[in-house]
Amino acid sequence: MTAIQTEHLQLDLGHFQLDGVTVSIPEGKMTAIVGPNGSGKSTLLKIVSRLAAADGGEIRVGDRLVQTFKPAEFARALTMLPQSKEWFPDLTVQEIVAYGRSPHKRFWENRMSAEDREAIEWAMEATGTEKHRDRLFHTLSGGEQQKVRIAMALAQKTGILLLDEPTTFLDLSHQLDVMEMLQRLNREWGLTIVMVLHDLQQAAAYCHYLIAMKHGLVVAEGEPRKVITPRFLRYVYDIDAKVRFEEDYPIIIPVQKAKEDSTMVIVTNTSQIKKGHAHKLIERFDKVGKVEFMEGFLGLEVLLTENTKDYEEVSVVTRWRRKEDFQAWTRSSAFKESHRHRDIPDYILSNKITFQEVKIVREPRTAGTEPAETAQSAEQSGQAVQSVQSAQTVETAETAETVEKIG
Amino acid sequence: MSSLTLSKRRKRIVWALPFVLLLTVLYGLHYGSVSIPPQEIWTVFLSGGDPLYRQILIDLRLPRVAIGLLVGACLAAAGALLQGVMRNPLADPGVIGVSAGGGVAAILTMVVWPQAGFWLPAAAFAGALASSLAVYFLAWDKGASPVKIVLAGVAVNALLGAVTSGLMVVYSDRVQAVIPWLAGGLEGRSWHHLRFMAPYAVAGLLLSVPAIKPANLLLLGDDSAKLLGQRVELQRMLLILLASLLAGTAVSVAGLVSFVGLVVPHAMRLLVGDDYRYLLPLSVAGGAALVTLADTAARTWFDPIELPVGILLACLGAPFFLILLRRRKRLI
Repeated sequence: MTAIQTEHLQLDLGHFQLDGVTVSIPEGKMTAIVGPNGSGKSTLLKIVSRLAAADGGEIRVGDRLVQTFKPAEFARALTMLPQSKEWFPDLTVQEIVAYGRSPHKRFWENRMSAEDREAIEWAMEATGTEKHRDRLFHTLSGGEQQKVRIAMALAQKTGILLLDEPTTFLDLSHQLDVMEMLQRLNREWGLTIVMVLHDLQQAAAYCHYLIAMKHGLVVAEGEPRKVITPRFLRYVYDIDAKVRFEEDYPIIIPVQKAKEDSTMVIVTNTSQIKKGHAHKLIERFDKVGKVEFMEGFLGLEVLLTENTKDYEEVSVVTRWRRKEDFQAWTRSSAFKESHRHRDIPDYILSNKITFQEVKIVREPRTAGTEPAETAQSAEQSGQAVQSVQSAQTVETAETAETVEKIG
Repeated sequence: MSSLTLSKRRKRIVWALPFVLLLTVLYGLHYGSVSIPPQEIWTVFLSGGDPLYRQILIDLRLPRVAIGLLVGACLAAAGALLQGVMRNPLADPGVIGVSAGGGVAAILTMVVWPQAGFWLPAAAFAGALASSLAVYFLAWDKGASPVKIVLAGVAVNALLGAVTSGLMVVYSDRVQAVIPWLAGGLEGRSWHHLRFMAPYAVAGLLLSVPAIKPANLLLLGDDSAKLLGQRVELQRMLLILLASLLAGTAVSVAGLVSFVGLVVPHAMRLLVGDDYRYLLPLSVAGGAALVTLADTAARTWFDPIELPVGILLACLGAPFFLILLRRRKRLI
């Protein structure tokens, strides 16, 4: 059975939109509406409870369109606990709970009937607030105040109770207190409960049904266990996380987001050398001018492969922040100076330069360990490239086909 | 502040106020340039008594005391209702333009038709109601929220204040009669004024009884009241209309008596809490007692000069109000 059915709710407030929200809230169940801030959760509740009007669409409570209810009649069918830190009048708990009977009374009726008194007592007992009945609202703790507000809504004796973030301003023990109380009300009295929650774990643990919203759209709905997945978290909350359920509680372990995606350019100058002459090239390379002082220089390695077939290979790998930095070096006077008056020695058989533009993605190796150091700091502190590589996944974004000879 | 002491305090105040009210009335009838002993007052009312006493009592003091009671009751009731409707403990009848509208209408009457002193109350009453309606409708935008009403009230008050000052400067020769009225006083008020205001005052005070319930509900805020099935906009409009009827009635006869509508409900709120079932009747009684007492003081303390009661009330009210504010700060 459906307690509340919305069809294509539209609302355009310029900065914010509801875009065709169609949801069915199951009767006698606990439903949580979740989603990031500004996704339209509270707005949806306000429209359903007639505190705000939609531009288009329909809402049915039971099988009646909400606009066919008279105000008092509607307040006997459905009520809401607004998200509120609002000023509340200086009244006793019982006086506040008694307000909940207003929709059941005619304007001129002031005397509480036996039915009214019974409803007030029930509401206070169900919320455990009867012991404070004569205390002033303001003398209660935040958690107790919230229970009194819930008791007032309960005294309305509606079949449907909406709550807008009922636990947001409470500490953990009061949060659980309130959630358990709502669960009891749902189990024992079949109350249909719909609440906007920020805490996914509480939503999953206490609710039968989950509705997720983003940018004014319903993006997922169903049983919490089926809805809360890594894919859901990435899509709705834009976070990467692992999810596993422990009883009814989802354990959500966020994976640290890449702080920034940086790129670097790897220039590999590979020369094939006549056997036994590799060290000459390495010596020769030592004379290449002042690369370590160049802007954007990230590091240099010389790799030597001996005894490959009938030649050896020497790769001079320099890493740069940008290709332009490398090019600036080849145009620098120091570079030109070191290459002047030099012929290509005959022991070099061939020479090839490749450019690789790579994206650096930093990921912690496992949750809880220190995040990887940045490439820059690792280089500057002179660590071996191997250790940096282990902390980084280097994706090759583009391999340049350019083959050049250094003159 | 435990609830026990609150309910005890409520009871005590409910019991005490009728006696305070009675004593105030007796004091007002008794005291003056000629003091009339209490037993003589009884004799006059029961069996005629001394003709001089009779004349003083019936022609002068009785209507004046009655007007004082009604003015105080109306202003305090209006203030109490507005503080609830606006959800602002510092609201008073001035907020909705009642005083400014009444003032402009009174001055216009004196300027256009200087011999029309007789019609001054009616004109002021009409002006007070008209400007409060103007404030309400200026604030309307799919509903009139308290904030918008306060802002519209500021604008209308500023405009009407400018008109008042302008008229007083341009027609300074004709507006002498209006100055005591602007200061707010009951000097020379008599049966004619009482007959004018009594029906509106009594009607307004009687209508305050059914206003208690919606006023209490509006205290919860618009959303909560709506969720309790209330027609919030309608109720707020009716309560504001009622408040402007009450305040306009008081302004029509007494002129711009300030502070009663602010201080009395505020003080009562600190004593008995926000529940209008207590707050409204006690404010009515407190306002009635305060204005009557202050008027008796205003006409006797500075004999032979009669001070407008509005000035005395402002002089006493301002420091009292500051004390209340300081106390409230401690409570919060």
